[in-house]
Amino acid sequence: MSALPGPRPTVALPPALPGFEQLQRFWEPKSGCWTARLLPGEYYVTRSNEAIMTVLGSCISACVRDPDRGIGGMNHFMLPEESGAGHNAWLDPKAGLATRYGSYAMESLLNQLLRTGASRSRLELKIFGGGKILSSMTVIGQRNIDFMLGYARLEGLKLSAQDVGGTQPRKIVYYPADGKVMVRRLASVSHNLADRERNYMHSLHGQQDGGEVELFE
Amino acid sequence: MAKILAVDDSAAMRQMVGATLTAAGHEVQQAADGQEALTIAAARPFDLVITDVNMPVMNGLELVRKLRTLPTYRGVPLLVLTTENSTERKLEGKDAGATGWLVKPFNPDRLLSTIARVLS
Repeated sequence: MSALPGPRPTVALPPALPGFEQLQRFWEPKSGCWTARLLPGEYYVTRSNEAIMTVLGSCISACVRDPDRGIGGMNHFMLPEESGAGHNAWLDPKAGLATRYGSYAMESLLNQLLRTGASRSRLELKIFGGGKILSSMTVIGQRNIDFMLGYARLEGLKLSAQDVGGTQPRKIVYYPADGKVMVRRLASVSHNLADRERNYMHSLHGQQDGGEVELFE
Repeated sequence: MAKILAVDDSAAMRQMVGATLTAAGHEVQQAADGQEALTIAAARPFDLVITDVNMPVMNGLELVRKLRTLPTYRGVPLLVLTTENSTERKLEGKDAGATGWLVKPFNPDRLLSTIARVLS
């Protein structure tokens, strides 16, 4: 279990669900809560009383939970760049890469929630991010927002809160146990954040090929 | 052109896979879970079934197992299309009787070439 040292935790680190043991969690004295920290491309699901935090520039996060079961999770992603993605991406016979990648990011989170015991019909969705934070990444944030709203509509997910767009980065802390989200707008774009998002964007190019196939013959 | 049953609980996935297959000239019918797919497949024959794994009511591997018990589907290609890529899960799929395993995000060209290959 990877937990960072911090000032005197008053509760024990909750067990991580299988597959999430490696994700970094730290003790947050102000909230009195263990907190998982998400980087671009990661997601985390929990049924314990803990928080999930991330910093978003043009990336987007979906916070999804089943309020009755106290199971929730969050992801952090952006769509890969592609040319010619129109408004009918869902019905594009070649199913645009961006749409396929976004659906994959959402489905990975939703599948883990359902496997942990959440009920699809009760899922409540909150979305954050999609800012216009760098001049070189102007349309990316909006594309992420458009995708997320379209996905929620298609999948019939209840969108209960959103704070998207704008020109400032956001720090998000999500408490899946009660659904509360703390959003802090950051005054400026740090080099770290800009580099992280640029590196993530470049790493997505490598995934263009996608779709690993294995035949059992 | 083949008659294909595409099974996924995600409406977004159903739209994307359906559009890809239809544009390639296939006739596509869709189902949102394993149970619905089984009912549809039992009522009329399909040349190929492509299914997600994690779905409510009946999952994709259970669907593959059940289809393999039907005489009509003993020799029909049954493909799995999922976010799961662990060796254990793939083995489970193979044991259930799946013909092949495709990992999401799916690549439309590779999906079509895989379908062409298992149908030939």
